[in-house]
Amino acid sequence: MRHGWARKSLVLALAVVLCFGATGLAGCSGQKESTEETSGQGPVETIKVGVQTALTGPLPDYGDAAKKGCELAAKDFGTFEMNGKTYKVELVVLDDKAEPAEAAVVAQTMVDDGVVGVIGSLTTGATLSAIPIYAQNRIPLISGSVTGPKANESGVDTFYRTCWSDAIQGEALAAWAQELGAKKVVLMDDNGAYAVGLADVAEKALKSAGVQTLRQNCQSGDKDLSAQVANIKEFGPDAVIFTGYHPEAGLLRKQMIESGLGDVIFMGGDGIKSTEFIAEAGGTKNAEGCYATFGGFPEAQQPGYEEFAAKYEKAYGAKVGPYAQNNYDAFGALIAAIKAAGSTNTEDIIAALQNLTYEGVTGTFSFASKAEGSVARGDIVVEGLTPANVPRYVVKNGEWVGVE
Amino acid sequence: MAAFTQTVRSAFTKVPRWVYLTAAWVLAALFPVLNALDLVQTAWIRVGVLSLLFALLALGLNIIMGETGLLNLGYIAFFAFGAYTTALLSSPKFDLHWPFAALIVVSALVAMLGGFLIGLPTLRLRGDYLAIVTLAFGEIVRLTIVNVPTLTNGPNGITGIDFLKPLGPGVTARLQSAGLPQAVSNLLTIDKPTEYYYLVLVCVALGALLLSNLKNSRVGRAWNALREDELAAVSSGITASRMKLLSVLLSSAIAGFAGSLYAYYSNVISPESFIFMQSVIVVCMVVLGGMGSIPGVILGAIVLQALPQVIRESAGAARSEFEVYRMLVFGVIIVAMVVLRPEGLLPDKLWRGQAHEADPRELERTRQTLFDLEEGEQDLEA
Repeated sequence: MRHGWARKSLVLALAVVLCFGATGLAGCSGQKESTEETSGQGPVETIKVGVQTALTGPLPDYGDAAKKGCELAAKDFGTFEMNGKTYKVELVVLDDKAEPAEAAVVAQTMVDDGVVGVIGSLTTGATLSAIPIYAQNRIPLISGSVTGPKANESGVDTFYRTCWSDAIQGEALAAWAQELGAKKVVLMDDNGAYAVGLADVAEKALKSAGVQTLRQNCQSGDKDLSAQVANIKEFGPDAVIFTGYHPEAGLLRKQMIESGLGDVIFMGGDGIKSTEFIAEAGGTKNAEGCYATFGGFPEAQQPGYEEFAAKYEKAYGAKVGPYAQNNYDAFGALIAAIKAAGSTNTEDIIAALQNLTYEGVTGTFSFASKAEGSVARGDIVVEGLTPANVPRYVVKNGEWVGVE
Repeated sequence: MAAFTQTVRSAFTKVPRWVYLTAAWVLAALFPVLNALDLVQTAWIRVGVLSLLFALLALGLNIIMGETGLLNLGYIAFFAFGAYTTALLSSPKFDLHWPFAALIVVSALVAMLGGFLIGLPTLRLRGDYLAIVTLAFGEIVRLTIVNVPTLTNGPNGITGIDFLKPLGPGVTARLQSAGLPQAVSNLLTIDKPTEYYYLVLVCVALGALLLSNLKNSRVGRAWNALREDELAAVSSGITASRMKLLSVLLSSAIAGFAGSLYAYYSNVISPESFIFMQSVIVVCMVVLGGMGSIPGVILGAIVLQALPQVIRESAGAARSEFEVYRMLVFGVIIVAMVVLRPEGLLPDKLWRGQAHEADPRELERTRQTLFDLEEGEQDLEA
């Protein structure tokens, strides 16, 4: 009796939630029916494509952008003719909360649903735990956002990605430092997966070219790097490559200048290519002449970006979210592979993906058919991309500008 | 109406407890049969494996939290100890491939060692203070894993963990080369969700059996006494430090054991599996199921692990659109359960009374007794 009011309000709340659910249900099923009517010539076969991403959890904005990218792609490529039949793609969007254990359940749900391919997942941990399940069930998985060089360490033929592996930037930094004539290089990371992966690749490339290296590291969030700066001073390098993010990079640059290391070449990956770096380094004067590479062509150089951004903004009334175009390309590549295979059998699709060359929003690319050096199996191979023409930037008059 | 519910309730309580328990275990054992008959999707078996793994964890946490009354907010750290021990000793990382039987013991021992190290200095703390220290411990362990890439691969995790071979890799290989029929030789490697399901189910059953015996033993009674009133327990001859340490050791060993199974099951482990939120979820399982109640915490684990998938599948055709709201509904249901059943789903007898507000008459009686005692003391002083 004491809980009477609580019970009532609770029942009410539950009823409200259920109503929302029901209206959502009705709304969606209505939409589906109408689209099916319009595409009603010849025999129509529905195939399912999964989108495994993190709609809830730590990165919902990234997950939402991935979902939207795939939805747009489904609108553009989702209905196609093959062998005299009309095929229609039904998207199965499932949320893995960026949680490895949940990712395994989601992967199995996709397999049970009979999807012919999956776009995802968003984060490294979730993708790592999904890879073995898709590999065991022979279903291709294409990620548009996992950049860690070690994602496909096991070398399965069912994992592909349409975003650049961090290894590309590592190679580019090493090549650039050598071009600038560096003979002694310090590599410093922040102990995070991204920074360590990048620094590992760059260190290996430099060492094999006979460059003397010193490895240092800090913690993300550090407020004093004088110990590392002292080590750097003692080593006396020509260049310092910091592979982490801008807050520590700015601090490092500032403290290096304070201890008279202002002439040492300062470089970094796309983690430092941000206007905040300039302020954190202590202003325009300090940041002047710092170099950065970037893990993807700038938007203006992506052949289909302008058209894609217009479509995206028209459909969602918002700016293009992170990695949305990579997910769009992932979906497009999967459909292109199905068409190239002339079959919806996943074994045929996997074979076709390995020989596919796809013209996407971000450029023309194919997938690496085997692991070689810092390139893992299934990594994106961008046409015409070498360590020397990875986008390069330099700080000039307090702004990041492209280096030709 | 009230009379009717009364009759129904008494009819249910008349059925002996063992009937319910047997029915539950039989149902659990028959669950994968539904999958074999294609009535249930394989994803549900994976949900089942996870539920049972977390049931093991919840059973372990229940020892310290439910029985001994010590709040631990970093319990997932012991799970991580077990998982990483197994991953390091049976993966290409150091090219070590220890047999299952050895690893499961070593993983439990490593987690136990972790429990010993954290337990020794902190067990004199009580309540909130212990909670803070254990919370910090859990985070320290996770951050250490992230920041020692040479040992743990840091955030990249450890991939390619061996498949579980109950007889060990050597014996299995020899048996397989001896020309066993394919069906038998397949059984020597546990790599399918259903096989894991049965393995973990047996572990949970054994764990529940062990713990229910322990609960009713001298040790269990000592734990309960410490939980209810430490001073009174110590003055009745219980060595508080030894008993508390024992409960921490046992619970961390169970977590290490579960961690080892998890590493085998998922084939890959990364630090994202051992975040603070996971510790909280295990605490929720114990509280929601019923502190100190063994069937309760198992049920709590199953409900909390399975609920997100239940919500997902109940959205039917609108599943894809409903994904965003799934965890919202999950939260509402948990709040509802806590409001409607504060004592837990299947409460322990001792705890049942404590969750509800005390009867005012009972309070008055206690107050009167205390008052009488005080008066007596004053009389004595005078």
